[in-house]
Amino acid sequence: MFLRLLYESFRRQRRRKLLAGVAILLGTTAVTAMLALATTIGDRIHQELAVYGANIVVTPVADSLDVKVGGVNLKPANGGAYLHESDLIKLRGIFWANNITGVSPELRVDSVAIVGNMNSAPIPVKERGLWFDHDLGGLRTGAPQLHPWWKLTGQWPQLFKGSDTFQVVLGASLAKRLNLKVGDGFILNGPTQQAVDGHGQASAVGIVSTGDDTDNEVLVPLQIAQGGLGADNAVSRVEISARTKPEDAFARSDPDKLTGKKHDLWYCSPYANSIAYQIREAIPGANAEQVRQVEQSEGTVLSRISGLMWLISAAALLAAGFAVSAAMATAILERRAEIGLMRSLGASRSAIALLFYSETGLLAVFAGACGYLIGSSLAAWLGAKIFATGTATTFASIHIATVLNPVLLPIVVGLALIVAIAGSTPAIRQALRMDPSSILRADA
Amino acid sequence: MTLSMSTILRRSLIHRRARSLSALVALTVSAGVATALLTLYADLDAKLHHEFRSFGANIVITAPASSALPQDALAKVRQVAGSDALVAPFAYAIATTDRGTPVVVAGTDFAAVKKLDASWAIENGAWPDPSDTQAALIGQRAANFIADEHAVKLTFAGKPLTLHGTGRIKTGGDEDSRIYIPLPAFTAWTGTTTSVIEVQISGNAQKIDAAITGLKSALPGMQVQPVRQLVEGESRIVDRTHTLMYAAVLLIALTVGVSVLATLSASVLERRRDFALMKALGGSQSQLISLFLLEAALLAFAGVIAGYIIGSALAWAISETNFGTASLPRIEVLPLVLLLNMAIAVMAALFPARVLRGLQPAALLKGE
Repeated sequence: MFLRLLYESFRRQRRRKLLAGVAILLGTTAVTAMLALATTIGDRIHQELAVYGANIVVTPVADSLDVKVGGVNLKPANGGAYLHESDLIKLRGIFWANNITGVSPELRVDSVAIVGNMNSAPIPVKERGLWFDHDLGGLRTGAPQLHPWWKLTGQWPQLFKGSDTFQVVLGASLAKRLNLKVGDGFILNGPTQQAVDGHGQASAVGIVSTGDDTDNEVLVPLQIAQGGLGADNAVSRVEISARTKPEDAFARSDPDKLTGKKHDLWYCSPYANSIAYQIREAIPGANAEQVRQVEQSEGTVLSRISGLMWLISAAALLAAGFAVSAAMATAILERRAEIGLMRSLGASRSAIALLFYSETGLLAVFAGACGYLIGSSLAAWLGAKIFATGTATTFASIHIATVLNPVLLPIVVGLALIVAIAGSTPAIRQALRMDPSSILRADA
Repeated sequence: MTLSMSTILRRSLIHRRARSLSALVALTVSAGVATALLTLYADLDAKLHHEFRSFGANIVITAPASSALPQDALAKVRQVAGSDALVAPFAYAIATTDRGTPVVVAGTDFAAVKKLDASWAIENGAWPDPSDTQAALIGQRAANFIADEHAVKLTFAGKPLTLHGTGRIKTGGDEDSRIYIPLPAFTAWTGTTTSVIEVQISGNAQKIDAAITGLKSALPGMQVQPVRQLVEGESRIVDRTHTLMYAAVLLIALTVGVSVLATLSASVLERRRDFALMKALGGSQSQLISLFLLEAALLAFAGVIAGYIIGSALAWAISETNFGTASLPRIEVLPLVLLLNMAIAVMAALFPARVLRGLQPAALLKGE
């Protein structure tokens, strides 16, 4: 009998069920979409913030200071101190290795010269050896990844072993000054005035505009720069981009003064300071520092935007809760006559309450689950649309696994249940309290 | 006795107090949410740009090689950039420390730098007092090459200078290898003046472009460069957050709107018997619809007034919690909220009226 009542109620009162169902569906859709966006916003904004470049810089421990004004290095911190390129693979072995998203080593060679043809005088330029697309123990990384604001015409250089010529990229100002184009060839002389290990015939495969002093440099593969300097394996500076947790008071504490558990907790938190500490441990002779301008500011921006999303989600939850409970109350109030009839036919109050709560529950679970699915896809679509980086986004390119957040399903359906039941309770109670005969008389 | 429209309206609202109240609550919620979100949305760009101030300067003015910035450059920059912009002058020279190590010494205005470069950390001390003409901030790496931080002895072209360090700067950048001293002391010592002016303009890319154009024409011959990654990154993130917020506003407004519509139209549908009775007593279709419309519009109007107050308070609370600065109520969102609520109310009244038109009063009154 109970099941039949339940079934008939859904079959015959389609309009009423539809209204309440639509209210729950829309409410859960909005709440799911907002929560799904709020939980992923941190990663998305972090990706956007990658445009600011490295947040940790590693330099060799030097016995003198950099004398550098306005990007011009007047006296590099001592010629002899370099990091070893082969040590960089150790970055993949530190505790927070998976948080390191980009590594870009560089080697500056100050006195190389471009010779356009046999008759012209050599023009002194600065050269910088970089990784462009390097495989660091499974992580493909390099300078273009850490400098997304660099604008390239042409392509990044590749290294061909055993080839006589090598590929370079020219800074935009330099290319303009020397009147060189993509595809032009020239001789690049190393600092020792002799063509050592690859220095010699070069061809420009790209021109890069950076908006800083790199515009006046020649960018070459790291190995070429090392060959030119006669210092195999040498790296003068490494930029690292890492996913970090915004700094708090604990992050600023000195790890060497912390004891036991606190030290472990500090060490195992992804603060820029602790990642830098682990890098110092892993690479001998390295001095790793967080870049405060990037690290500090990213932290604030990140926490503000995700905080805003959470608060908006809370507002959405509140509004959806109000709307759904109002819709449920109306749906029950409409059926007072039905309640009166059942009461006069001898149904107990608890039996009626059970029937109505079951209806509400079924509706909430069904509409809530649909709302979860729609809201999740909406969030994925919105996220992809808003944060699309260059590539066109289609539904096919969104993975199911990343769209559906399984944690949200019970939360959203549970909330829908609570709100729907809470919304219908006052109406059910009120209808049950009333005298059946007066209900029936008032509302035929 | 003739029943006027206003009497029917008043009685209908008062006698069905519970029903009117629930409709009012629904309309207040929709108006409140719309007000809060629109107020936040209108304020969002200014608030976000404010957060990006911690990244420091986004425009750098330098003199081309073999010339210097004009004497009045700083005053001109301040005038062009406006009172909202942060401006700091820098002058550089290479001196030797008491241990004979070459070091970059920078002359600057500490009060301006403290505001411009909020991310600089000062360790083992504090920012120098503005009245202290012999103060110095020492980069944390430079500090390793100085014998006594309380009496820093520097030599430039044979001229000695003794300063007392008030703290160490930690930035993770080139600043760590420098020593910063007050500009007047720097000029008196080296004879050179400001060579770089760093400016921070708060705003979107267009505003920064306009400032660059203005600075270029005020300082002909000088190099005015944007810090590209900062300008690009900022406008990208602000744009994206802006769009995200816009999507959120639409989504929530739609949800609340449709739910309110469902509640209101159900409450109108429930009054089929009133409708039948009035029709049987000679009311015309248009009279009845206008009655429903008027009732709904009245509720919507009351909802907007209450919702505007609640929504403004909500927006204030959200931005106070998140950004630490208040969002003041904005009167310009009111027409939009009113329009939205009226549209919901009118639709809620018209939707059931279409259903009711086909019904026969007699059949309905008999209870079929």
